[in-house]
Amino acid sequence: MIKQLTLMLGGIQGEGIVSVGDTLIRALSQAGYYAFGYRTFSSRIKGGHTNYVIDISTHKTLSCDDSLDILIAFDQDSIEINLPKLKKGGLLVYDDIVSVKELLASIAPSSYIILPIPFTSIAKQYGNTLMKNTGVVGFLGQLFHMPIESVSRVISKNFNGKGEEIVANNMKVLTACYELPLENNSLSHQYRLSPVQNNQKKASMLGNEAIAFGALMAGCRFMAAYPITPSSEVMEYLTKKFPGFNGVMIQTEDEISAITMTVGAAYGGVRSMTATSGPGLSLMMEGIGLAAMTEIPVVIADIQRGGPSTGLPTKHEQSDIDFLYYGAHGEIPIIILSPYTVEGCFYQTIDAFNLAEQYQCPVMILSDLHLGLSRQTIDPLDSSKIQIDRGKLLNSNEFTESDMPFKRFAFTDDGVSSRIIPGQPFGMHHITGIEHMETGKPFEGNDNRKKMMDKRLKKLQGLKELDHIDLYGQLESDLLILSVGSNFGMIQRVVEGEQLPATYGMFKMIKPMPIKQLEELCAKYNKILVIEGNATGQLAAIIKSEVGFHRKIESLLKYDGTPFKYEEIHNKIKELI
Amino acid sequence: MGNAKNYSNQTTPTWCPGCGDFSVLRSLQAAAAHLDIEPHNLAVVSGIGCSGRISGYLNAYGFHSIHGRALPVAQGIKLVNPELTVVASGGDGDGFAIGTAHTIHAFRRNIDMTYIVMNNQIYGLTKGHTSPLSQTGFVTKSTPHGSIEAPIKPGLLALSAGATFVAQGFSAYQDQLVDIITKAIQHKGFSFVNVFSPCVTFNKTNTYQWFRDHLVNLDDEGNHNTADFQKAMNKYIETDGLFTGILYQNTDPDYYSKLPGERGTPVVQQDLDIRHKFDELMEEFM
Ligand SMILES: Cc1ncc(C[n+]2csc(CCOP(=O)(O)OP(=O)(O)O)c2C)c(N)n1
Ligand code: SF4
Ligand SMILES: [Mg+2]
Repeated sequence: MIKQLTLMLGGIQGEGIVSVGDTLIRALSQAGYYAFGYRTFSSRIKGGHTNYVIDISTHKTLSCDDSLDILIAFDQDSIEINLPKLKKGGLLVYDDIVSVKELLASIAPSSYIILPIPFTSIAKQYGNTLMKNTGVVGFLGQLFHMPIESVSRVISKNFNGKGEEIVANNMKVLTACYELPLENNSLSHQYRLSPVQNNQKKASMLGNEAIAFGALMAGCRFMAAYPITPSSEVMEYLTKKFPGFNGVMIQTEDEISAITMTVGAAYGGVRSMTATSGPGLSLMMEGIGLAAMTEIPVVIADIQRGGPSTGLPTKHEQSDIDFLYYGAHGEIPIIILSPYTVEGCFYQTIDAFNLAEQYQCPVMILSDLHLGLSRQTIDPLDSSKIQIDRGKLLNSNEFTESDMPFKRFAFTDDGVSSRIIPGQPFGMHHITGIEHMETGKPFEGNDNRKKMMDKRLKKLQGLKELDHIDLYGQLESDLLILSVGSNFGMIQRVVEGEQLPATYGMFKMIKPMPIKQLEELCAKYNKILVIEGNATGQLAAIIKSEVGFHRKIESLLKYDGTPFKYEEIHNKIKELI
Repeated sequence: MGNAKNYSNQTTPTWCPGCGDFSVLRSLQAAAAHLDIEPHNLAVVSGIGCSGRISGYLNAYGFHSIHGRALPVAQGIKLVNPELTVVASGGDGDGFAIGTAHTIHAFRRNIDMTYIVMNNQIYGLTKGHTSPLSQTGFVTKSTPHGSIEAPIKPGLLALSAGATFVAQGFSAYQDQLVDIITKAIQHKGFSFVNVFSPCVTFNKTNTYQWFRDHLVNLDDEGNHNTADFQKAMNKYIETDGLFTGILYQNTDPDYYSKLPGERGTPVVQQDLDIRHKFDELMEEFM
C-alpha cells in the first residue's frame, strides 16, 4: 500500500493528455484522495511532446516530486524524454501500439517494471480510438484500487450531453481496462492507495477557476478581457456563468479596452474585473493609473508567465512584481494581493473586491502560471466567509437634494471619500484623470495638488501596519524563508517533509508591504532567504528597500520557465542551516 | 420639454472664443432637454483633447477619461446600466488615431449609445499637429512640409464596420445638429455623429467659411433614403464626405438585446449575494 506517488502522463499535445489528467484528478478527489497536477505544454496547439505530472497522496499535496513512480506513455517520445526521471524499479506503462523495441533494447529489463497495455485496441473494440483516454483512467483506477463508482461518475459527467451511446461505449472501455487482468501479481498490491481517513468527496480546481468562482461569489458582474495564456480560464468561466446571474463578460479588441471598459463598468456601480498576463498588463498600465486617479474600484488578475515581451508564453515565471509594485507613471495607490494556494485564490479574490471598494483603488491579484493552471484537490471552501463590503457607497437616502453639490473627492481623515454612481438623483458630478478639486473639476493649483496626492496615497497607509505574511514551519529557528505564489507547495514539501529547522513565510499582500511585520521578522531571524521565480530578485530588492537588513537577505532565483524543484530548494536550505 | 440650461454646470469652458466645440456642447444640452433626460440619468464620457473637456461642462455624470479611451469607458457604463443615456465624445485624434481600434469595434458592437466626434481635423490641445482626418498636404507643426498621408473617411469606415446610425453635423448649423443628436440618442443602437467643429486657432484651412462653401446639406435634398446602405455609400463618395445630415440608419438589434440570459433588471441593480447558489456552483468542481 502506498501513501504518496508521482505519476506522469506523456504524449503528443492535443491528443487528450490534459483530459486524462484532469479526469484522473477529479476521480481521485471524488474518492477522497488529494492530487496535484502540473502540466508542461508548449505554445503549439497540436503536436510536440506534452506531459502532465500528477502527485497523488492521502494528504494534501501542492507540488510534484522531481522523480516519477509511474510513467504512462502514449508515444515513443514520452519514453525517450522521460524515462530518465522514472525511479529505479518504477512502472512504465505504454500503449502497446507504440513500437518500443529499439528504445527498450538499451535498458536492463530489471530496472523497471514494463507493462504494455492494449489501450487503443480496447478503445477500438468498444468505440473509437479516442476512448483510449478513458481506458487509461480505468486502468489506473484498478491499479490504485479506487472504487469504480468514483471513476465512472466522473467519466459519465465528462461525456454527459454527448449522447447515450458515447457514454455507454466509454463505460465499456472503462470497465474493460478496470478489469484487465494484471499478469504481474505484485503490481496489484504495490500501487494500492492507502485508504484515506476522511473519504468525503472533494473538489478539484485550477487557481484561475478559483479566481473566477471567487469573483462570482463576491458579486462581480462585469468582466472585460482579451484572451491570453495563462489567464483565459478566468474569462471562460465567467462568460459561462454570467448569463445566469445577469452579468456581462465581453471579449474586447485589446487589453487597453479591457481595462478601460472595466473602469467604466466599475464607475457605473458594478463590481468589475479583468484578467491578463505580462504583455496585456503592459497595455493596461495607463488605464490602471486612470482608475487610481479617479478612485474607481477595479480588480485586475495578473497570471504571470515568462517575460519580457512575448517571452515564454506557456511557461512559469514570477517576474511582474517590480512592474506592478512600481508601475504606472506618476505615483498611485494600488493594492497587490498574492494568493499562494487555490483556496487562497478564491478567498483573496473576494477580499480584492472588498478592498477595491473600501479603498477605492485598483486591486491586483498577482498569481502565476503554476498556481493558475495546476489542477488540484482542494479543501472545502467555506461559504460563510463570503462577505460583501461596498465601502463608502452612498445610496439615495444617504445623499439628498439638500446635500448638493456632491463632492466626490472630499478630503477626509482616512483619505477615502464617499462615492455615488450614475443614475442616482442629485449626485451628478465630474471625474477626470487630470488633477482635480474635491468636486472633481480639473484644477492644477499647487496646494490642492499636494493635498490630493496626499489624500490618495494616505488611503493605504493603514495596511502597512497589518500582518500580511502567513508563517509556517518551525517558528523558533534561525532561518526565515520568504516567498510568493505557487512556490509555497514545494517549500512546504521540503521543509515539512524533512522537518527542517526553518520558518517559511508567504506574502498574501505585497503592496502595501506589511512593513511592521517584516521589520519584526527580519530583526528576529539571523538569516533570510527570499525564494522567487525571476532573474533579478525583485521581491528581495523591494524588501531591502522597504526595511533594510541587506546583509541578512539572500536569494534563491529561478527563471528557466519551470517552477522550483525539490532538490533546488532543499540544497539551498541545507546550505543555510 | 426641459430647459437646456438645466444641463449646464455653470463652468466656463476653457475653449478659445469661436471654437466649434461650444456649439457641440450647446447642441448636446438642447438635445437632452428635448428628450427630457434627467441629468442624473445622463452620463457623458470624453477623451483627452480640447474637445475632451466637454464632459466637465454638463450637469450630468461626467467622466473625462484618457486619450482615445472614451468609447470603452462609455461602453462599460452602458453595459452595466442600460437605463442611462450614455454619450461618448472626443476629438478626431482621440477617435481616429489613438482610439481607432475602439471606434471600429464600437461600430460593429452596436451598444445603445451615442458617439460625437468633435472633428477639427487637427490636434488642438497639443497646439496644432496633424490628425488622421487632416487633408493631404496639410501644414502643421509636425508636418511643416505638408501631410503626405491620406485622411481616413470616418463615415465610410463606420458604414463598412457595421455602424447602425451614421450622421454628420456642422457647428455653425446648430438647429440641424440639435436635431441630429436628438435622433442619434433616440436611435436604439450605436449612433455615430461626426461634427465639423472648426479649430479657429490652429486650423486656418478648414474654417467656418470653408465648410459653408463645401458642405452639402442632405436635408435639402429631400430624397435621401437613410435606410439604403448602397445609396449611403454612394452619397458619401459623391460628396467626398462633405455633407451634413443623417446618412444611414438601420434597425439591427442592439448588443444588450442579444445578450444571453434573462435581462429583466440592469446589471447594476442585481443582488450581489448569491451564497444560496454556492453548493450548486461548487458541484461542478466535483
Ligand atoms: C497616451 C497619450 N498620448 C498623447 C497625449 C497627448 N495628447 C493630448 S490631446 C492629443 C490630441 C488631441 O487631438 P484631438 O483628439 O483631435 O482633440 P482636439 O484637441 O483637437 O479637440 C494628444 C496627442 C495624451 N494625452 N495621451
Ligand atoms: S485650440 Fe482650437 S480646438 Fe482647442 S479650444 Fe482653441 S479653437 Fe478650440
Ligand atoms: Mg482635433
